[in-house]
Amino acid sequence: MHTELTYAELASLMERRAGVIVNPADLELQSDTPFADFGLDSLGLLGIVGALENEHGATIPADADACRTPRELLDVVNDVLKARA
Amino acid sequence: MTAKRNRQDEQRRAVITGLGVIAPTGIGADAYWKATKEGVSALGPVTREGCGDLPLAVAGEVHGFDPSTLVEERFLVQTDRFSHFAMAAADMALSDAALDAAGAGEFAIGVVTAAGSGGGEFGQRELQQLWGRGPRFVGPYQSIAWFYAASTGQISIRGGFKGPCGVVAGDEAGGLDAFAHAARSIRGGTDAMVLGATEAPLAPYSIVCQLGYPELSTVRDPQQAYLPFTDRACGFVPAEGGAMFVAEEETAARERGVAARAVIAGHAATFTGSGDWAASREGLAHAIRGALDEAGLAPEEVDVVFADALGVPAADHAEALALADVLGRHAARVPVTAPKTGTGRAYCGASALDSACAVLSMEHGVVPPTPNVTDMTDGLDLVTGHARQADLRTALVLSRGLLGSNSALVLRHGADARP
Repeated sequence: MHTELTYAELASLMERRAGVIVNPADLELQSDTPFADFGLDSLGLLGIVGALENEHGATIPADADACRTPRELLDVVNDVLKARA
Repeated sequence: MTAKRNRQDEQRRAVITGLGVIAPTGIGADAYWKATKEGVSALGPVTREGCGDLPLAVAGEVHGFDPSTLVEERFLVQTDRFSHFAMAAADMALSDAALDAAGAGEFAIGVVTAAGSGGGEFGQRELQQLWGRGPRFVGPYQSIAWFYAASTGQISIRGGFKGPCGVVAGDEAGGLDAFAHAARSIRGGTDAMVLGATEAPLAPYSIVCQLGYPELSTVRDPQQAYLPFTDRACGFVPAEGGAMFVAEEETAARERGVAARAVIAGHAATFTGSGDWAASREGLAHAIRGALDEAGLAPEEVDVVFADALGVPAADHAEALALADVLGRHAARVPVTAPKTGTGRAYCGASALDSACAVLSMEHGVVPPTPNVTDMTDGLDLVTGHARQADLRTALVLSRGLLGSNSALVLRHGADARP
């Protein structure tokens, strides 16, 4: 099990859970760009947070689905995963 | 009468400028029309995943539909097959009408669809997650994808259409009521409406819901399973697919240089409750009268009838009597057809598809036949065997829902549009 959420994993989840296709390298380069600009809406982000909880067996704070950018989400999720490690 | 005519003349009127068809007999209006005028039947075994062991043996499935080539991944992941059909058919209709939000203005175009089955395949998958793994495994798009409103919402978002949007939950007859809703929006000031209905009820969960309908045919021979107006009538065969349209304010369409393919001339709806097909006679007759009144037409001006043709003897008999009640002796002379015996009934999509067929019939001057039906009992001039040439200016489309909705729609030839 990964102990850290990577941009590659996030890009894969965006495609599988919300149909938003984005290159992992672009996602990392544009990590401060709002999710909305990638075409990801709030339901899509909610689905990604739910999938992360299921895959990592972790409880992610309820405000994670309010993250506006990839970097914000990675910070919130990785804080949780590191605290558990 | 003169005053009524004058008032109508001042009213903004809706004309159809675009068609998009997804039917078991063909994807796209051209393929569908070619098969329909030749009386092709696409009824066959149910092959959708997980449906093999159910008592429903025959249906009208849409084959060769590849949503990934027609709709972006983002919209596919978030929606059910019925919305995939709707988005693809809406694209065809918009392309036919050469209309988009960039040209017309985002608030100039609205959307109205009808649905009666919803997103059963998507919904079942998520419910299996719920009961198999727990609520945390249900995806958030379940909150929109399996509901009747999904197609309207996604067409609106995808096309950037911010005019009046709505959903008709009017049983199968909703496919006709969507025309009335769109025409009303256009009378009220909207330039154009994307309207219609598509359904995808051939998933295990959806089929199980339908097995409770006593009207559902479970006959295993595709040629015998749906024979309305005959003494072998044994219920109806369900189907998937439907049709989407672009309706526009007549003057706006003309100013864009787009031809009217048909005029939405009149509509009326009634409700007579479930379980009593004899009662639908009066309800349907009242709807036909109302639709003709709104169109300002006399009964003998109807040139072709697209029958509801449920395939249940009491319902077929009630429909024939309703036509006789309103059309009088003309009911025995006017050609009546039910092309849906070759496609099956896609619930709200069935009446939308019949409306597309009515437009194509008037354009080509051809009444398509009623596939698989050779004999008939109800005193109507049902067109069977081969298509019939006829000068068609006015088409009457009828639809009844299994739970008691009755609707009638009058469409007129595009040449009836005001010069």
